[in-house]
Amino acid sequence: MTLLHELGAIWLFSLQVFRTFLTTKGNFQPILAQIASISLRTLPTVIFSGIFVGGILVLQLNLILSKYDAQSLLGGLNTSTIIRQVGPLIISFLLAGKIGAFTAAELGTMRVTEQIDAIECLGTHPIQYLIVPRFLGIMVSSLFLLLIGLTFSIVGAMGIAKQSCGINFLQFMGSIPKFTDFWTLTQAIIQSLIYGTIVAAVSCHQGFTAKGGARGVGQAVTRAAVYTNFYIVLANWITNHFLNFFEQIVKSGYLYESSF
Amino acid sequence: MSICFQKVTQTFGSKIVLKEVSFEVPKGKILFILGKSGVGKSVTLKLIVGMLKASSGQVLVDGQDVMQLQDEGLAQVRRKCGMVFQYPALLDSLTLYENLSFGLRPFCTPNPGTILMSEAEIRKTVLEKLSLVHLGPEILELFPHQISYGMQKRISLARTLAPEPHYLLFDEPTTGLDPITTQAVNDLIFDLSRKLKVTSIVVSHDMACALQIADQILVLDEAQIIAQGTVDEIKQSSVPLVQEFLKETLALFPLEENRSSTHDPSP
Repeated sequence: MTLLHELGAIWLFSLQVFRTFLTTKGNFQPILAQIASISLRTLPTVIFSGIFVGGILVLQLNLILSKYDAQSLLGGLNTSTIIRQVGPLIISFLLAGKIGAFTAAELGTMRVTEQIDAIECLGTHPIQYLIVPRFLGIMVSSLFLLLIGLTFSIVGAMGIAKQSCGINFLQFMGSIPKFTDFWTLTQAIIQSLIYGTIVAAVSCHQGFTAKGGARGVGQAVTRAAVYTNFYIVLANWITNHFLNFFEQIVKSGYLYESSF
Repeated sequence: MSICFQKVTQTFGSKIVLKEVSFEVPKGKILFILGKSGVGKSVTLKLIVGMLKASSGQVLVDGQDVMQLQDEGLAQVRRKCGMVFQYPALLDSLTLYENLSFGLRPFCTPNPGTILMSEAEIRKTVLEKLSLVHLGPEILELFPHQISYGMQKRISLARTLAPEPHYLLFDEPTTGLDPITTQAVNDLIFDLSRKLKVTSIVVSHDMACALQIADQILVLDEAQIIAQGTVDEIKQSSVPLVQEFLKETLALFPLEENRSSTHDPSP
């Protein structure tokens, strides 16, 4: 019940943020500054995690595929799994842990020490000044980080495949087109944008509405982490159903045929 | 034109914080709102700047009902009413210069995105306000955590003064300060009020401070005004809570004198 109530509050908060973004001027520079700041702060973690997640996945898939003598499919299967599912999910969890928690704590501290009230009293719209740049910054950064993360994940997977599974780069890359296409990448981008929006909305909302001193800030950060993970997993389930369904329709040629 | 409360009631759930409270702030004077903790003193200030919506009644700032105002209208009222918070509330990621100039930046102007003041003008204004609170330019590049709490309070006051508000609202301005800094802040409130001829509302439980600087005192208890008048009238009050406040204060500061009557009677 609490989660549903929170979901409603987060939804209304997000609408307010988008309305403010669309109806006010001078937002682009602060948003760009946030994108740069968020991306630079998260990049090392994303690269590091990307390489190892790709490598681990290759080892696990190799164990299964080698039983069926199907190691030639390792590259394609690994890349497809990373792009479709693991990449967007891992990157959103990293973003939630690193930037989401930071944002909730920063905004929460500003709220309980009356900094946000002071901004408001000086005639500034706090949603425009504080939230719009962070919200949009996290959303856009999630896409940028996704592309970097996926690239390093595949590079890591290729390295481990060569080192531990005896699959060379050409064999690895040769099977990729069998399992992935433009639609696979589109799915990843759609998912990443949705998860990035969840991280932005939940962390900004929890921080902005924090109350009750240091304890309140702690609770806001905890709630931000719990709700973000819960909503991402939920969104993952829903988007996968929807995107798989849509993929089937697109690939069966239904949309193409019905348009003529 | 001034700040006026008309039968304002404020409730939080079943708790009544203010009940049909009415008063008017005399133009150019210092109104001191006195009361125990939790009687709705800070709520009164938040109602003036529209950070809270009254359950009923009207809060008028220069004839405008704050309760009826939306985004831009509220922002205009807030630019008129400079509020000094209980905590310094300085933005800790910004330098003191950036904090002081915050209210002069384009995002705080009536049409966000437009440039009203050049950087040179902003710097000049910042230095002027800094000197009003008896601080020098050498601290401008420091961050809030690098200066003392008392200095943070003064910077907070200077930041509020920078956009030249018509009204100054002080929420517990001396809380957490040592007696010497408390005295300095009281002097500042009094001097600024006289120098800049702004109308001030000070919210506190500090009767000694009230006796020193107030032109008018208003005592709140149990959601209502229980006493109201000049310092002399309050001193003569027979209301038990006022007597209690006076007794405690005069025991500590027997020679306390009201500066408004002794130094400068007119604003």
